[in-house]
Amino acid sequence: MKTGTLDWRQLMVDFRLFGILLLMMVGLTLISDRFLTVDNLTNVLWSVCLIGIMTTGAIYAPITGGIDLSVASIAALAGIVANVLMNVYGLHWLLSIVITLLIGVLIGWVNGVVTTKFLVPAFIVTMAAKTYLFGVAMLVSNGDQITIMQPKEFLAIGVSKFLGIPIPIYIMAVLVIVSHILLKHTVFGRQCIAVGANEVSAKLSGVNPDRTRIIVYIISSVTASIAGIVMASLTQQAYAMNATGYEFDVITAIVIGGTSLMGGNGSVTGALIGAVMVGFINNGLNLLDMPSAYHPIATGIVILAALILNQGVSIPKSIQYLLSCFKPASVK
Amino acid sequence: MNDPRNSDVLLECRGIDKNYNGPMVLSGVDFALTRGEIHALVGENGAGKSTLIKIVTGVTNRNAGSISFDGHDIPQEHSKNAAEKLGIAVIYQELSLIHGMSVAQNIYLTKEPLLSGLPIIDINKMNTMAQEMIDRYGFDLKATDVIDNLPIAQRQTVEILKALSNKASLMIMDEPTSSLTSTESAQLFKIIRLLKSEGISVLYISHRMEEVFALSDRVTVLRDGRKVAVLEKEQISPAEIIRLMIGRILTDNESHHQMVKKDGEVVLEVDKLCSEGKLKDVSFSVRRGEVLGFGGLVGSGRTELMRAIYGIDPFDSGTITYLGKPYVPTVEKSIAGGYGFVPEERRLQGIMGGISITGNIGIANLDTISSKAGFVSGAKELERAQKAIALLNVKPARPEVLVGNLSGGNQQKVVVGKWLIRDLKLLIVDEPTVGVDIGAKEEMYQTIERLSQAGVAVIVVSSDLPELTRLSDRIIVLRKGRVIKEFVEGAVSEEDVLRAASGLVEGGAQ
Repeated sequence: MKTGTLDWRQLMVDFRLFGILLLMMVGLTLISDRFLTVDNLTNVLWSVCLIGIMTTGAIYAPITGGIDLSVASIAALAGIVANVLMNVYGLHWLLSIVITLLIGVLIGWVNGVVTTKFLVPAFIVTMAAKTYLFGVAMLVSNGDQITIMQPKEFLAIGVSKFLGIPIPIYIMAVLVIVSHILLKHTVFGRQCIAVGANEVSAKLSGVNPDRTRIIVYIISSVTASIAGIVMASLTQQAYAMNATGYEFDVITAIVIGGTSLMGGNGSVTGALIGAVMVGFINNGLNLLDMPSAYHPIATGIVILAALILNQGVSIPKSIQYLLSCFKPASVK
Repeated sequence: MNDPRNSDVLLECRGIDKNYNGPMVLSGVDFALTRGEIHALVGENGAGKSTLIKIVTGVTNRNAGSISFDGHDIPQEHSKNAAEKLGIAVIYQELSLIHGMSVAQNIYLTKEPLLSGLPIIDINKMNTMAQEMIDRYGFDLKATDVIDNLPIAQRQTVEILKALSNKASLMIMDEPTSSLTSTESAQLFKIIRLLKSEGISVLYISHRMEEVFALSDRVTVLRDGRKVAVLEKEQISPAEIIRLMIGRILTDNESHHQMVKKDGEVVLEVDKLCSEGKLKDVSFSVRRGEVLGFGGLVGSGRTELMRAIYGIDPFDSGTITYLGKPYVPTVEKSIAGGYGFVPEERRLQGIMGGISITGNIGIANLDTISSKAGFVSGAKELERAQKAIALLNVKPARPEVLVGNLSGGNQQKVVVGKWLIRDLKLLIVDEPTVGVDIGAKEEMYQTIERLSQAGVAVIVVSSDLPELTRLSDRIIVLRKGRVIKEFVEGAVSEEDVLRAASGLVEGGAQ
């Protein structure tokens, strides 16, 4: 009975996603001869990497029926804090990273506690956090676009390679694997899914929904901090606007990957494919020389389409429905 | 049909089929209701009464069959709004009333009288109109009363007034007396007869045979999703209805249950449990191998008591002793210590519909299927799920099936099953067979009996009196948060329990 443990539905979703991804790549190759070049693909990879890292942790919020909108602000703040610790206070780069991650833990804990103990919806809590953390980031950085000149080890995170593959890719790969195992093969993963599926039922079965949620927001905040550190190192920049709008790319990637915002299921691998797709969509729009105003429009449409498909509405049925809107009231 | 009243038919359903992606809930049901009659719809839990009502009121759509109401054919894609416009009203206990608003505001919600020419509500006119209507029917209400301050019986009256203001020609009442006192019930019957004299039809659903007997002009009996019989006034008798409902004659043995004293060691002892506004000085104990039944009306504190001893809600004072040691319950401690808990509302509290059988069973057994480091063994999890499935005969017996796609009975088996694969010492089941088909119900009873034979202490809370008397070795009846009666040994009938629960017991302290 090996099949009992395999999640066939999720495999189907992942497989379908992968097909769509390949189609997109073929399409982009045909449309633009600049697409299939090392330079361009490396570019896509960087943005996918940052979104991908954030996604590995941010996915737990929707799985438990919540959402984390503060990840972009957390990432920007993490870059700024790391830089201040290293270059203003002169701390060792590793220590600076550890402190930055601890601050991430604190931010996530606050998000989680306000959501669970003060019963404010996660949407509002994390939107408020997004706003005030952006403010803190502006305050700490004086609103400046600070160039990070040193230490070399810190800057190496973003640019150096191992076996010809950039370090951020390894970071993302490790986080994807860890997150996947955490979700699918641990008690904590089971508890997250149960809380999202039916909080009351989970509670009556011995799960502590509040504790689970608090940990979820801590995880989300820590991976956002990691992404912020990688981004600062990669761009050699600490800037409050560094990751502006990334939270929507992250949510798009999660939703495209088959995770329901209503909670109760989730796929880390799906979200990774989703992150790659978001990267390609943005890249494709760039290559086609579309004005930047079209980018959010395209992203928005993709989110809606993914959500509609996620509701279990089949494409032929949707088309049928759309057509029936133009007909006079049907008579049976 | 040869019914001479056919010309006067208000509602006619023919060949109604319904299934919720599973077994047939209704098959080929014909149902007719004439103008100005009080028509009772009876059947055991799960016979399909509620489903039929939901189809008529547009809450859910039928799979086959036709419905006509007042000469209009109702299309398959029916809706609540359409039903309301046609004049079909459902009287809920209190659900559809808006708290914080007055009686008049509730009655005229969305159809408030306006100041002439202005989009502003004419409050005085609205209050006058409402009061006129109240006075015309002789109800004991003020138009300006706020809903929150009214007892449930009066809220029901407001619901009825609201329906009257909508020019309803059919009022559907689903168990309207379930939380009323006997005086309040009598008042409601008066109102129902008044409605009849106004030419309004009432479709009445109740488990209380004496009400059905006293009120109805005709009775339709459903059993297992099929119409069994329609009884005319002169044919109605409680014994006949019960015979038709269950399809056999009750032997004396079944209506009078013989209770047996068990003398295993005490598993749980509760002493003077108090909880502000919910429980007052509740004391009881339950022994190994004993099935302790809790009776009482909805709102008598039964569920609150169960939640307190399981550790969901805190209590103000009193002590609990579990397995001989003082015990302050929390859910996690209770589960680890050998409790099992099957909550009242299966869909809202019991199952995780979007998750597989394996996942639903695994969540209560994480301690036994995972390593110390917190990794879950998929193989162990699957093995546990298969064990529970086999133990309770869950159908389909496929662990990967989503629980939301199972029938009510099989969902309940999953909720119970997750505890049975543990080292269980005390099982609390709250309304174990609501919305469960008859076959699964019988299996549930056998499971409970098997558990008690194996030495598990079982607490059963049920509003289903035959169920309570059949299962229990001892029955405690709660009323208004207090233990009002305990049936220990000897024969007990459903009527005894009902009388105690309604406060009609000798020396019935309030």
